[in-house]
Amino acid sequence: MTAADVTRPAADAAGAAGAPPGPPLPAPAANAAADNHAPAGDFDAVVVGAGPAGSAAALVLARSGQRVCLLERGPYPGSKNMYGGVVYPRILDGLLPEWWEDAPVQRWVTRRATMTLTDDQALTIDFRTESWGRPPYNGATALRPEFDAWLAAKAVDAGAVLVTSTTATGLLRDGPGGAVTGVSTDRPDGDLRAGIVVACDGVNSFLAKQAGLHGPVDPANYTLGAKEVLAVPARTIEERFGLGPNQGADFEIIGCTGAIPGGGFLYTNRDSLAVGVVLHLPALATAGVRPEELIAGLKAHPAVAPLVAGGELVEYSAHLIPEGGYDMMPALAGAGILVAGDAAAMCLAAGIWLEGVNFAIASGMAAGEAAAAALAANDVSEQGLAGYRRRLQDGFVLQDHRRLRHAPHLLLSERVQRRYPQLACDIVEDLFTVTNPEPKPGMRRLVRRQVTASGVRLRDLAADTWRALRTFG
Amino acid sequence: MSAAPPGSDRPGTATGSHEPASPSPDHPGTATGSHAPASPSPDHPGTALDPIVVCRRWVDLRPSVDPLTGAVESDPRTSGASAADDAALEWALQAAEAWGTSVVAVTVGPTGSQAVLRDALAAGAARAIQVDLGSSGDAASVAAEIAAVARALSARMVLCGDMGVDRGSGAVPALVAAAMGARQALGLVDLTIDPAEPGVVTGWRRLDGGRRQHLRAQAPFVASVEGASIRLRRASLAGVLRSGGAPIEVVAATGPTGGRVPSWMPASTGPGRPRTHVVDGPDPHEPAWRRVTLLTGSGADRPALRVVHAEPVDAAHQLIAALADWGEWE
Ligand SMILES: Cc1cc2nc3c(=O)[nH]c(=O)nc-3n(C[C@H](O)[C@H](O)[C@H](O)COP(=O)(O)OP(=O)(O)OC[C@H]3O[C@@H](n4cnc5c(N)ncnc54)[C@H](O)[C@@H]3O)c2cc1C
Repeated sequence: MTAADVTRPAADAAGAAGAPPGPPLPAPAANAAADNHAPAGDFDAVVVGAGPAGSAAALVLARSGQRVCLLERGPYPGSKNMYGGVVYPRILDGLLPEWWEDAPVQRWVTRRATMTLTDDQALTIDFRTESWGRPPYNGATALRPEFDAWLAAKAVDAGAVLVTSTTATGLLRDGPGGAVTGVSTDRPDGDLRAGIVVACDGVNSFLAKQAGLHGPVDPANYTLGAKEVLAVPARTIEERFGLGPNQGADFEIIGCTGAIPGGGFLYTNRDSLAVGVVLHLPALATAGVRPEELIAGLKAHPAVAPLVAGGELVEYSAHLIPEGGYDMMPALAGAGILVAGDAAAMCLAAGIWLEGVNFAIASGMAAGEAAAAALAANDVSEQGLAGYRRRLQDGFVLQDHRRLRHAPHLLLSERVQRRYPQLACDIVEDLFTVTNPEPKPGMRRLVRRQVTASGVRLRDLAADTWRALRTFG
Repeated sequence: MSAAPPGSDRPGTATGSHEPASPSPDHPGTATGSHAPASPSPDHPGTALDPIVVCRRWVDLRPSVDPLTGAVESDPRTSGASAADDAALEWALQAAEAWGTSVVAVTVGPTGSQAVLRDALAAGAARAIQVDLGSSGDAASVAAEIAAVARALSARMVLCGDMGVDRGSGAVPALVAAAMGARQALGLVDLTIDPAEPGVVTGWRRLDGGRRQHLRAQAPFVASVEGASIRLRRASLAGVLRSGGAPIEVVAATGPTGGRVPSWMPASTGPGRPRTHVVDGPDPHEPAWRRVTLLTGSGADRPALRVVHAEPVDAAHQLIAALADWGEWE
């Protein structure tokens, strides 16, 4: 059929001279705008937010046969989302076997380094392995607009209905204080009713707050992540970081945020670098420093500058991180509602580990399973949804969080942030400085000398070592 | 000037009057004279059953350009309809509501362009047609396809955005009018739709030199509108949900011979050029070399570059003073 064969509206075609042949179409609705009614109760579940948590929840729900609507405020999944840059998608092994075949990956991380910086020193623990560059892989750099869109497309393939450019503005309830029965949105006739709402609306989760699941907000539980993306040719990246064509590097950095507790990162995309800082919110607010100044400082550091030299700034973004972990988590379920991902503070921010996406996916999957089970049992009460917490406790999400619950406090302390990096760098500098004709000092003497010079009390050092062992051990 | 009859080879022009100044007689493509008679001509009244065709072009709204090669990369995720196409849809919906008819959204392009049709369905269009022409169609073939669809639908009212955001030629609406033998009212900044006069739109458009023209077009017409003329309504949630599964009619392109674009119309256009603006000529009594130097500015004294470090308000004052010094600010 060509353009010339398009049939006229049936009502019109009957009396029209010269109307082209062809079966008349049913008369079109006069003007659809006139008969817009929100379909009440058309969905079993509404998932709010098409980030990793939301798409994973929607995928699981759709696969279990539930009618699920995935709401996203951005024009497409991932359009509003930013992060540092490395995902650990092994959690998808069961859900999307061989996910690596079509996941939009920039580079497979085969090199991981932890850098400790002072103003003019750098101590780096650098590890690389070829095995992370082969299936089933370990971590990968990925761009969120691509990764989130890919995962959301899997949910849509499974039958979820994705509605973009639509913000959930509040919860619908079964009477005041009653069970959650859907969400209102910012569209005309925008109420969407469903058996269950899964709130995956990110770190600020207004829905979880409205549901009364969050306690009072404490800014000390949050950090602000700010990032620049610098365009650098792929070949240059590979030469500078010593990487093969698909290989990537992940540098976590400590001691680069001045008086503000936090850290930094540097990741390699295909032909760009992500460099940024993560800053403790209350300290940032009082410091009078802007995040981009700290990124500029990081980029100018002698150990970092050669890696980012000549990079053209193509993107700047910033986002909150629920750094507080286990101790800031809200109640995870209420009648008719579950909370997953950053909305439930599931992001693991424990110094050398900044893993949010895999925790979001895992919690989204658990929420999807629990919601499907509750819908099948026709019981979406708080008790009916208790399976969600059990699933998280049985898996790595709550186990890792519980074990590392003291990590944020320890890692953001002044000693870990400033004194120990200086001490470690000074010890190593002393160790490798050849002061002939003086003989080399013994290790013990050297360490003692530097500890004394740093002003760190042995008691504190011992206590922090013990805490670190308990936390990470 | 009265409009050319439909079916003639030359595009008709809507009737109109300039305000405040009358146009130069050689102004291309615009009507001269006073208002047209208020009533639609009896031979071509708009009827309640005529659907209104609205054209939607799928375009990357934030394309990335390789700074070295100049290659343009587009991304379906950042693609959609331009503000002008959205405005055209809104006017079409308002007209359809006022006149009790329906809107058919048409796009000529690749499969990805169905997204702009779904947006139209969500907002209230009754029907959506994609002419599958890939992304290679030039203005003339795109126009021919739209005209073919309009003809097949017996639609005599077509609304479009005035110009693509990707340096489009802006010629498609005129070419559609030519192919349909319809009147044209192009580049409108405002439209009036009177429920009492189905098939007639009146509106304003910009002319060069700050002039405006008041136009009145009666079906058959093609009207194109500027993006700022109106904002597309926000589709209701039910509309969005319904549009996701609504059928989109896909038709093959009729091909180069399918359209009736007159041979004198340009088939392709060159690269975009900035608009000309009037520069006061030098005194004709000056010698030629002096006039050339005045026009080109060659050899003229230029103020030395100066770097100013100042607080924002002070800096703004200094900038204004410098512009005034250079004669750029009155
Ligand atoms: C600077 C920075 C660096 C990071 N680095 C890493 C890293 O390298 N690796 C890693 O694994 N994690 C990292 N993280 C953490 C990770 O980004 C998050 O943990 C993860 O994105 C959480 O996923 P989510 O789906 O819960 O929430 P989000 O990714 O925030 O998604 C929430 C979604 O909900 C949508 N939404 C919000 N409100 C509404 C509403 N009312 N209606 C409709 N839609 C709504 C949003 O548009 C968004 O799409 C980093 C975070 C930051 C800020």
